[in-house]
Formats: sequence, C-alpha cells, structure tokens
Amino acid sequence: MRKIFTALFVVFFGIVLLLGISRTIPLTKYEDKIVPTSAGGAFIEKKVNITTENYKDYKDVIFGETRDAETGSANMVTSVVVNYRAFDTLGEITVLFLAAVGVSLLMGGSGKKKRLGKSGFILKTAAGILFPVMLITGIYIFTHGHLTPGGGFPGGSMIASSFLLLYLADEKFELKLKGFKVAEGVAGTLFIVIGAVGLMAGGYFLMNFLPTGTVGNLFSAGIVPIIYVLIGLKVGSEITGVLSDMMTVEVHE
Amino acid sequence: MIRLASLILILIGLYGVFSTRNVIKILVGVNIMELGVNIFIISIGFVNGGLAPILTSGSFSSALNFVDPLAQAIVLTSIVIGLGITTLGLVFARKIHVNYGTYDLSKIGGGSDD
Amino acid sequence: MINPVFMIAIPLGLAFISLIFKKASKWILVAGVTINVVMLFLLEWGSVAMGGFRIPYGIQLMLSSYSFTGLAVVNIMFFVILLISFDKVEKNSVVLLTALAGMNGMILTMDLFNLFVFMEITAISAYILSMKGKKPEHSFNYLVLGSIGGVIFLLGTIIFYAQTGTLNMAIISSPVQQSAFDFSSATLFIPFFLIFAGMAVEAKLIPFGGWVKGVYGNADRLTGPLFSSVYAAAILFAMGRVFGELFVLNETIVIIVVITGLITFAFGEAAAFRQTKMRRILLFSSIGQSGLAVIMLALGFYFPAVLLIVNNALSKFIMFTITGKLQESYGTENYKELKGAFYKNKMTGVAFSIAALSMAGLPLFFGFYAKLNVLTALFGGGNWFIPAVILIFAIVEGAYFIRLLISLWAPGKEGEYADAKHAVETRKLFKPISVAIIFMLSLVILAAGLFPDFAGKTITSGAKAPFTMSQLKGGE
Repeated sequence: MRKIFTALFVVFFGIVLLLGISRTIPLTKYEDKIVPTSAGGAFIEKKVNITTENYKDYKDVIFGETRDAETGSANMVTSVVVNYRAFDTLGEITVLFLAAVGVSLLMGGSGKKKRLGKSGFILKTAAGILFPVMLITGIYIFTHGHLTPGGGFPGGSMIASSFLLLYLADEKFELKLKGFKVAEGVAGTLFIVIGAVGLMAGGYFLMNFLPTGTVGNLFSAGIVPIIYVLIGLKVGSEITGVLSDMMTVEVHE
Repeated sequence: MIRLASLILILIGLYGVFSTRNVIKILVGVNIMELGVNIFIISIGFVNGGLAPILTSGSFSSALNFVDPLAQAIVLTSIVIGLGITTLGLVFARKIHVNYGTYDLSKIGGGSDD
Repeated sequence: MINPVFMIAIPLGLAFISLIFKKASKWILVAGVTINVVMLFLLEWGSVAMGGFRIPYGIQLMLSSYSFTGLAVVNIMFFVILLISFDKVEKNSVVLLTALAGMNGMILTMDLFNLFVFMEITAISAYILSMKGKKPEHSFNYLVLGSIGGVIFLLGTIIFYAQTGTLNMAIISSPVQQSAFDFSSATLFIPFFLIFAGMAVEAKLIPFGGWVKGVYGNADRLTGPLFSSVYAAAILFAMGRVFGELFVLNETIVIIVVITGLITFAFGEAAAFRQTKMRRILLFSSIGQSGLAVIMLALGFYFPAVLLIVNNALSKFIMFTITGKLQESYGTENYKELKGAFYKNKMTGVAFSIAALSMAGLPLFFGFYAKLNVLTALFGGGNWFIPAVILIFAIVEGAYFIRLLISLWAPGKEGEYADAKHAVETRKLFKPISVAIIFMLSLVILAAGLFPDFAGKTITSGAKAPFTMSQLKGGE
C-alpha cells in the first residue's frame, strides 16, 4: 500500500520536474564551447593577468612554460577548488570533520569492546604487501594534486583504505588514535591560519600569497599544494578514526 | 541523455526513501539521490568534444576546448558532504539497532501519544 | 575594523583547536562565543571577496544592515543560551562551535553554493545535537528529510548555473543577466521552487516539517532554546536573503510560498491548541511563527518579518529554557500536572508569562508591535484574506497560551481559593543568577513593547532589503 502511494507520488512529481527542467535547459543536447561569460568558462579564459576584464589581454597558459600565472596550477579543477572557491573547501572539510566528531561522540562508549570478523590467510599475507603500496599511492595523489587528477580528498581516502586493510586483516590490530586526532586538529588549524596570513599579507582571506612558479612543476601554484597536503592528512586521519570507531562493538552482557 | 538518466536516478532514490521502512534501505535511497544529483551536475558542464581540464604535455595550452571545471569542483564538494551524511546516518542506524534490536522502523513504537 | 569572515573563521579555528586540547574544550567554547559577540560591533561593513577574486570568479560575503541584524540575533542568543545552560553542554562543545560558524556563514554569504555548504554544516550539527534526546529514530528521520532537502536545493542551484553561468545571487537577478538570457516566467519557476523546497525542510514548513515533533519534543534545556530561537532565526534570515535576491523575478513562486506559509501557520496554531505537553505546545507554536515569517518575507515586508523573528527568538528562548528546567525538576512537562508551579517561583513565572503573552500578541508586549506591523503591512498591500486568517488563528494562539499560564500559576481548581497547599510541591528551579538573566531578557520584551518606536528604529536600521548591485561592485 505504502509502495503504491509512493510510486504514484514519485511519478507525478517526476513528470512535473522533468517537464519543467526540459523547458529550462536542454536535456539531450550539449553546448559546443563553454559560454565565455560563465564562471566556468572564465576560469579557462582567465590566463595570466587578472586586473583587466578585457579577454584579449589574456595570454594562453602553456604547460611547462608560463611563469607567475594567477593560480599556477596545471589542474584547473584544483585551481577552482583550492584557490577560487577555497571557502567552499573550508566548509567541506568542516562537514567531514563534524561527521567524524559526531561518530566518535555517539559511538565512543566506555563498555568493553569486541572486534568483528575473522580473516583468512590470503588477506593476512597480502595486507603486508599492499599496505605500503596503498599508503604511498595515497600520499602521491595528494601531493601532486595540482598536476594530476585527484587531490586531497581521494588521497586521504586512499590512506584510510590502507589502514582499513590492516584492520580487516588482523582482528587484534588497534591504532593509537591520539596521534591521528592531533594531526587532524593541527591540519585544520593550519588551514585557517593560512587564510588569515593571506588576509594580512594581501588583504583578502585565503589569498594566494606565495609565488606561483612555472606551471607544471612540483613546487608551483603557491599555497595550493600546501593546502592539499593539509586536506589529505586531515581527511585520511578523520576517515581512519571513523573506521576505527565503527569496527568496534560494545558488548552488552 | 545523461541528464535525463540522472534525473530518473533522483526519482528512483526518492521512491526508495519513502517506500521502505528498513533504515539501511532508506540510507541507500538517499545515496542514490545524491549520486543522481552529482551526475547531473557533471553533465551540466559537458561540452561537445571537450578535453579533461588538466594541462599536461599532451594538451599543453589553455586555448584548447576544455570541459567546465567549476561543475567538477562542485561535485567534489557534494560527494564529500554526501559521505559525511551517510556516515552519520549509519551511526544513527546502529544506535537504533542497539536501542530497539531491529532495523525496521515500523516495529518501533512512535513514542508519540497525545 | 575586523573582516566579517572572522565571525566564521574564529569559531571554526577554535573548534579545530579544541580537538587537540580536549580537556579545555568547554572554556574554548565560551571564549569563542564571547569573542564573536564582541567582534559583532567591530566589524567592517560592505562586501568582502574571498581570496581577492571578484565575482563571478570568487565568493562574496556581504555585511549589510540586514545581515547584521541576523548576526546579532544568532550570536547574542547563542551566548545567552550558553550562559544559562552551560551544564548541559557535556561533550558537545566542538559541535556547538561549528554550528555557530555555520549559522554565521549562512547569514553572510551571497553565493548559492556556499549557502548550500553552510546549510549542510548547520544541519549536521543539528542532527548531532538532536541525539541528546536519546531517541535515534527521530534524529534519523531528521537526517533523511534534511539531506533530501539539501539534494533538492542543490538541484535548483545547478539549474540556475546551467541557465546563467554563475552561482552568485546578485548576478543571477541583475538586469544585465536578464537581458543576456531569455528569462520567461515558466523557465524560472522550477529552480525557484526547488530552492524554496530545499530550504523549507529546515524552516519547518508543512508538508516538509515532519521531523519537528520528534526532535523538538525531546529537546532538553540546551537544545530546545538553541533549535527554536537560534537555528530558526538563521534559516529564516537566509530565506529572506534568497527571497530578496532571487524571487523578485517571478510571481507564481510568491503565491506558492505564501500559500505554504499560510497553511503552516494555520496548522501550527491549531495543532498547538490540542496539546497538553508543554514542549509540544511550544514546537507547534514555532512551526506557526515560522510560517508567518515566511509569508512576510515572500511578500517583501522585511521589517515585520524581522520583528517576528526577533520576538520569536527571545520568547521561545525563555519558554523553552523554563520548560526544560520544569521537566528536570518535576519530571513532567504536562501542564495539567504542574498546577501552581509558578506560585512558588514568582520571578521565573513572571518571565515566562511575559514571553507567553508577547507570543500571544497582547498589547504592551513586543509581540503586539510585531503583529501590528504584520497586519498593517498586509492591509496596506491591499490584501484582506491573509490578515483575516492570521487574526482568526491569533485568537487560537492567545487562547492556548493563556490557558497554559492559568494552569501554571493557579494552584487550585476553579472556584477554589488559591492556596499554597494545592500547588505542586516546591522544587528549586534556577540559580538566582540565571533567574536574573532570564528576567532581564523578559524585561527587554516588556520594554520593547512599551516603547515600540525605539525598538522599531533599532531594528529598522537592520531590516532594509538585501542590497543592490551597485553596492556590490563598489564594495570591493
């Protein structure tokens, strides 16, 4: 009964929604070029000089050659996430931080804990080999966030997955989480401190105040790789903390 | 076509949330809705024949035809927010199980008299 | 002069720090909230760019007189609630700091996607705080409904982005944009409706507000006033911002919003009449007030709307706090079992009565001034149906509040001589200092009601419509 009502409601709502949306934006055809006045198009159009609105003054950004570009990052999505919309990223890490705090508040009981699951022989041996590989790959991903796809979030998740592998492989494995919590707090505070330094150095919160170097080098793009390293550490330690809290179960006797 | 498919995903997720009383299935429905919205956002940024918005030695100049990077940045944030909500939802589901012994919301008394 | 971003950055930074220094987290919380309240009066007005990037590339925050009023209500009420219910914070200090940062962000931002992110921060902190009521099924309900609201809001934002290419509220509604893109009434309706529906879940409107009964009904002395005055004020101010910036372009959406608000108001007041548990009465009253404020915001009458929000924030804080304390001391919230509870605690009782009578809209109180402005604005706009409905349900509201007050003050049955013997046995309620604070706030309500012009001028300088495009360009 409930399913029928829900299905009817969803179908009705869906038809209204689809009709409405199909009249505002095309549902099957795509553009051929980004509209230059859109914010997204501007990120690609804006190349070296920001003080002018005249697009003809902009020069193309060439990989490996352009120096002192506005962002300096070869990965355009990174420059959007960490530079142009860094405030949204601050909000995003706050969401994840809050979720992790909530998990540890609600699941962190004081009763006796029991770990779940037994693992087989293959997992136990493979974990020893895979763990360092996954860890290094995760670190690679977030340190090269401005050159390759990825960045702090996938990198941090990979680090957490490598710890998850250790948890699954050995049921007596316990991590000392105090170090993780300190890393998480320090990383978050440093993010805000960098923003405040930007405010003092250049007059705007989260402004890019370091030199941006040549596009394509490892040490380029100003504060972008620093922030991504901080985000990677923060996300990795948060998700590991969440996993550790969820893998243990209180024993009610 | 992808835009249509992602909107249908959102509707499927909506159906999933309201048609079942199992807590875990409701969370799966929320996840499907978020998945649909994320795919929709990415499809907004697509241009015909566009390249991935990264400068490499292959696509070395910013004068080429790239896909919209802002849409992808929005999706990045949205995925992480969805992760946070799912985590918290699972913790609440666990608490429901610890308190009532079941994942089925219809077997829990409403607690609302009056 | 301090950059307004510090209203958000300082609580957030302190929240990160208190993860390292767990033992001192309560004091960090107090320090953070105090710093915010002090900074409120030292802020630099105008628009602020994040990272130095102009719109449409960057994010803008805007401190206008409208957002200043919102910040003042949120931060000052948060501070007062913390002072009085400090013992109820337990381990939630990090969550509270982040919630404060999220709410400040909601009020200040001019960017739709930034608003989404801060709404999610605020909502997640509310989910965690609602678990203090020890009823996970209600918190779960809240979480599911809230995240569906967020998804729908995001969908609306993205449709706006697809149409106009920008996420900034001012640019979407600017005349330049209007001429560049072909906006007709039909194409604007769906994204507007989706954005409104997404925010309506948090704003407790019917039919989106199914979570309110469970969450508010189990709120304790800290979360009750926090949800009903601070969170409610934040979402209503954010809705006013969105309405003022975006909704001017379409009339159909205004009609739908007003109808939803009216149904919410009628439902809230009617449902409150039937309840005997005090928290239920207060939560349905909150739903009703929310609907009323939304009607005012949608029609563009910002001054009455802000008066309503401020009155609601002050009164609900007082009533929820006292209800929470009654629940703790007497073990019940049923007003029929609490006969004569105020007979022995007169100061507390007077404060509660002032708040309740202000909500009911009796003359001499602030609530009367607020309702008067509401009705004047509506009649002045040529409308007669909406004020008629409001007046009818205002009578209902007055009835149940007065019934509540009579039961709480009068110890005996009708016709009997009031004697201390018939009252509920005396329990100590509040420490004297808390009574003093609550009483002083109720005096604010009384004073604002007795000298309405003064109150009006203070808030008028706060409730002008959200800004214009020229202010944005010039304030860089």
